[in-house]
Amino acid sequence: MKRRVAFVGLGLLALLWGTSFVFGRLAPGVLAAHCPFGRDVLRPDQTVCELSFGGLWVSLGIGLSAGAIATILGLVIAASARGAGGGAERWILRFADSFFALPDVLVLMVIQLAGQLLGDVDPALKASPPVLMVISLALVGWAGPTRMFRNRLASLEAQEFIAAARALGSSRGHLLRRHLWPGLRGFALTVFLSRVPAAILAESTVSFFGIARMEPMSLGRYLGTSYSALIYEDGGRIVLPAWGLLIAVVLASTLASRGLSVPERAR
Amino acid sequence: MIRAVALRALRQLAIVPIVAVASYFLMAALPLQIDDESKRALPADLVASYRKDLGLGEPLGVLRPWEKLFAGERLGTSAQGVTGAEMLEKLAGSVGVGLMALALALVWAFAWALVRVLVVEPRSPGASDVVPAIAFGTPVFIPALLLVPAVAEAGYLLPELAAALVISIWPGVFLGSLLADGLGDELRRDYVRTAKGKGLAAHEVLRRHVLPNVLPVLLDALGPVATALLAGSFAAERVLGLPYFGQLYVVAVLQKQLAVVVVATTLFASVLVVVTVAVELVRAFVDPRSREERTA
Repeated sequence: MKRRVAFVGLGLLALLWGTSFVFGRLAPGVLAAHCPFGRDVLRPDQTVCELSFGGLWVSLGIGLSAGAIATILGLVIAASARGAGGGAERWILRFADSFFALPDVLVLMVIQLAGQLLGDVDPALKASPPVLMVISLALVGWAGPTRMFRNRLASLEAQEFIAAARALGSSRGHLLRRHLWPGLRGFALTVFLSRVPAAILAESTVSFFGIARMEPMSLGRYLGTSYSALIYEDGGRIVLPAWGLLIAVVLASTLASRGLSVPERAR
Repeated sequence: MIRAVALRALRQLAIVPIVAVASYFLMAALPLQIDDESKRALPADLVASYRKDLGLGEPLGVLRPWEKLFAGERLGTSAQGVTGAEMLEKLAGSVGVGLMALALALVWAFAWALVRVLVVEPRSPGASDVVPAIAFGTPVFIPALLLVPAVAEAGYLLPELAAALVISIWPGVFLGSLLADGLGDELRRDYVRTAKGKGLAAHEVLRRHVLPNVLPVLLDALGPVATALLAGSFAAERVLGLPYFGQLYVVAVLQKQLAVVVVATTLFASVLVVVTVAVELVRAFVDPRSREERTA
């Protein structure tokens, strides 16, 4: 049952990304010609479907990339901290905690601003908006996974089969590869999937503040810059489709991570 | 017990100087220029003013924003800069909104947990994921905007209460989901069956036995929730026109008031450290297991 829930979530995510990529990137004419929500008010040359559904693959791409980098960073830092142990581990965790203590959006705004300024001053350092957004989100998102992976590793290492493997002379690398990683794999996927909607929401909020300069238009930026239409007559047709898509992404990620969070042995 | 909590508080306090130094060096690394289409370099006197404001190139320059703050000088290089007193006033406003939001979030949490355990899960278990998805998938600025007519035109709601209302939704549903998970686990345990078998009323079992075992789960989540409330207040303050800390921070970032950003970031971290220490104190009183863990 749980595995089926995970497949439904992953399938929905893949479907959303795939159809958005096909109709947003490869065949944009379809969304331009057949959009029940009509044209956008701020960008009248494009339809609401082109901007919202057509931008979904950009937001999902950013969320998936940033989530993957943040998860890998968290995993590597947590494993290094556990390997180092003692004072080094405590200080790494304290640094992660101090990063985690700050609201994502606050740090994201500062990193975006820094990236944009660096790019403006030195064109060699200029990153494209999606790349800058992925880097910013990954730099913001590593601390939470680090703390979670470290706790998971600590609890796995306290188990008897690890003590037995150590007693038989297993090296740290062997322990990590053969004994710890299988217990960590499902958890890592869950953490990764939970980062995806968080990244899209953060991107949307930063766009709302007028700081991100995302091109091509992403779902997050569209929602963050067109939300004000909601209080005008007929504005619901502009905001509600994008809002609904964001909720669908959150629901798909939740279902997938909930299904994957079941321990391997319980299946 | 007091010693353990004090030690924990000291460890948390170490976060504040780390944030102060990290935010200073991040700000100090930013290039300075005018943000218009021509991307011109700033005039030399303005660059000098920026450098002086942030203490760049000075020995112990990292302390420069704090020196200005404690001397009562205006932080920032223009009239938009703020004094320490003004900053604290704005912080108090945001913390007030945050505390109202926390109280509301706890109300939503208990309400959602009870609805989920008693109504949603027995009838349609799959539906219990939909409400959290809607709550999490709704950026704060959307419900804030929907409340604007009630605040600005009709005057039915105080802007502060409206802000607290909108930023409490997701944390409330998140806490409620945790609470419901905890309640579901606890209600299946033997001690609940025993208490009911001995004739204790269902609400008494819940109040005297189950809730004390579930509360630590809520306490664990309060730190991230406090962060979410403060982050949410940024957007809500902007939409509802509240002149508090979130607005100050966003304007400081947009106008590159670097010293304001450094001090404001550190103050944010300090507020969150205070929240964490307060949670530890509450935990030490309500959860005997935490006292055992620390004395062991």
